[in-house]
Amino acid sequence: MIARPIYAVLEREVVRMLRQKTRLVSAMVRPLIWLLVIGTGFGTVIGESRGIPYQSFLIPGVIGMTMLFGAMLAALTTVYDKESGVMRMMIIAPLPHFWIVIAKVLSAALAAILQALLLIVLLALLGFISAETDFALLALALLITSLACAGIGMLTASFTRTLDNFAAIMNFVIFPVFFLSGSLYPVQNLPEILRWIATINPYTYGVDLLKHAMLGSTTMAADFSRLTDISVLISFTLLAIAISSWRFSRETAYEPMIHRLTGPKR
Amino acid sequence: MIAPAIDQTTTPAAISAAGLVKRYGALTAVDGLDLEIPAGQFFGLLGPNGSGKTTTIHMLATLVRPSTGRVRIGDIDVSQHPVLARRQIGLVFQESALDRTLTVRENLRFAGWLYNLPAAVSERRSAELLELFDMTDRRDKPVVTLSGGMRRALDIVRGVLHEPRVLFLDEPTIGLDLPNRRRIWRFIERLRARTGMTVLLTTHYLEEASPCDRVCFIRKGKLVDEGEPAALVDKLGRHILEVEADDLDTLKARLAPKLGDCLIDGDTAFFRHGEEDLSELAQLQTDTAELATAWRVRRPNLNDVFMWISAGKELRA
Ligand SMILES: Nc1ncnc2c1ncn2[C@@H]1O[C@H](COP(=O)(O)OP(=O)(O)O)[C@@H](O)[C@H]1O
Ligand SMILES: [Mg+2]
Repeated sequence: MIARPIYAVLEREVVRMLRQKTRLVSAMVRPLIWLLVIGTGFGTVIGESRGIPYQSFLIPGVIGMTMLFGAMLAALTTVYDKESGVMRMMIIAPLPHFWIVIAKVLSAALAAILQALLLIVLLALLGFISAETDFALLALALLITSLACAGIGMLTASFTRTLDNFAAIMNFVIFPVFFLSGSLYPVQNLPEILRWIATINPYTYGVDLLKHAMLGSTTMAADFSRLTDISVLISFTLLAIAISSWRFSRETAYEPMIHRLTGPKR
Repeated sequence: MIAPAIDQTTTPAAISAAGLVKRYGALTAVDGLDLEIPAGQFFGLLGPNGSGKTTTIHMLATLVRPSTGRVRIGDIDVSQHPVLARRQIGLVFQESALDRTLTVRENLRFAGWLYNLPAAVSERRSAELLELFDMTDRRDKPVVTLSGGMRRALDIVRGVLHEPRVLFLDEPTIGLDLPNRRRIWRFIERLRARTGMTVLLTTHYLEEASPCDRVCFIRKGKLVDEGEPAALVDKLGRHILEVEADDLDTLKARLAPKLGDCLIDGDTAFFRHGEEDLSELAQLQTDTAELATAWRVRRPNLNDVFMWISAGKELRA
């Protein structure tokens, strides 16, 4: 019943992603630049972090980055859908409207996973993937981290009326989420206030789980237990879906679609 | 006496609304509307911009909750079973609902999946409908490259892909030039001939709604009149006379005893003429030649009907 509509949204996301070559290329180039430029630069200053070379420490962070950016951009197409009208097609279809939110979250997660897999292949070719990697845990981490990132994106999208303020979203959502996590340095090494912020940032737990999966089972680089990471990520995703669905189910959510011509001037 | 066997309880109207009201703060966009539209009817909801047509359609189509009032699609209560209701209806929005970055085929494929149609069914119906609207050769073109008229036609194809029983068309001709408006009307006609679906259309180009079976005029969210287009127009008269003059008052005084009441818009006066024979008008034209700067006689249309009703005048001259 609901499988075809969800498939529709997933297929559209993948078609659009493959068509927007620059989006895909920059999703690969951005993390590689971080790894090679920042990783090498900081690496010479910092040396080792928690007993591993800084560049290796950064690997889970840049994979997380690809997922965060990929999922955020895909989830934010929901705002584009509202502006451009495609959302009209979805709200008039015979399905409860919370399924639209779920489908968009799934499609954003899918986009993120595909980009992360591509990056992992590239990193493996460059020799950055450790032999100690726990691939089963990595698969789980990719799945639930991308869902959580999609959740962050969907929450943002449900509170955003137009993409005019995309720069603001970059500055006040995506960058803080990325920098105030354990991506660049262990959470425990952060000053207290930042550590506190990182602890309530769900993305932190995604990167942490990636560290568990990629830096060896005895790694000291992770800050939380696997169980903590998994529970936080799943709970956050469910919460994000619930809040976004609630935002979306109010009829004012359709106002931007309904009132371009006749509505009160904004 | 026994009434003929048309039983309203076993054949519910395709669309029925009772006491429909929508308030936005202090503004009442729709103000106590009752509608009863039988299956298969081509119904026109007419009114100027801002009169509440779109709000009404969105309430009928489950997207906006009425402040008060009740809506049924067939025997489904829209506020209790919105998903079931949406399965029965197609809605073509006033503004496009297409993904401009995808091709015609990709858009229809997406719409088909949303309605849970198997790929083969949606593919076959898309092909048939595009054929019906003379658009087969546009199938693999991105929507961006289509003209406004084509895009609107594709929006309609999208809206009927799932073969709804009831189709809502919100201003299907808005923003199009005259030839394209005619084409869209032709497409709607073909579609109705093929499927027999109930169609509720809104437009603020009132005069184009004459193909409808029944029209209803609304103003400020209230119903002002309704009826069969031809009957409404007939009630108004056989001709409309438009006269322009610098000294309208004198002209009006001269013509009123013969033609009755008129409407004034700027420097033009509109009179009604009830007879098919034009000799009386010809005589009047000669008599007032020194006053009138322009003199036009034409058939009345639904726009005239609306203007006369809005001015609070009786339709009958
Ligand atoms: N969500 C809304 N918030 C505030 N005002 C609204 C809203 N929706 C409609 N209106 C107002 O209600 C009136 C009717 O609008 P609409 O139904 O779009 O008219 P139409 O389709 O006949 O042009 C307009 O004055 C419009 O500005
Ligand atoms: Mg409208």
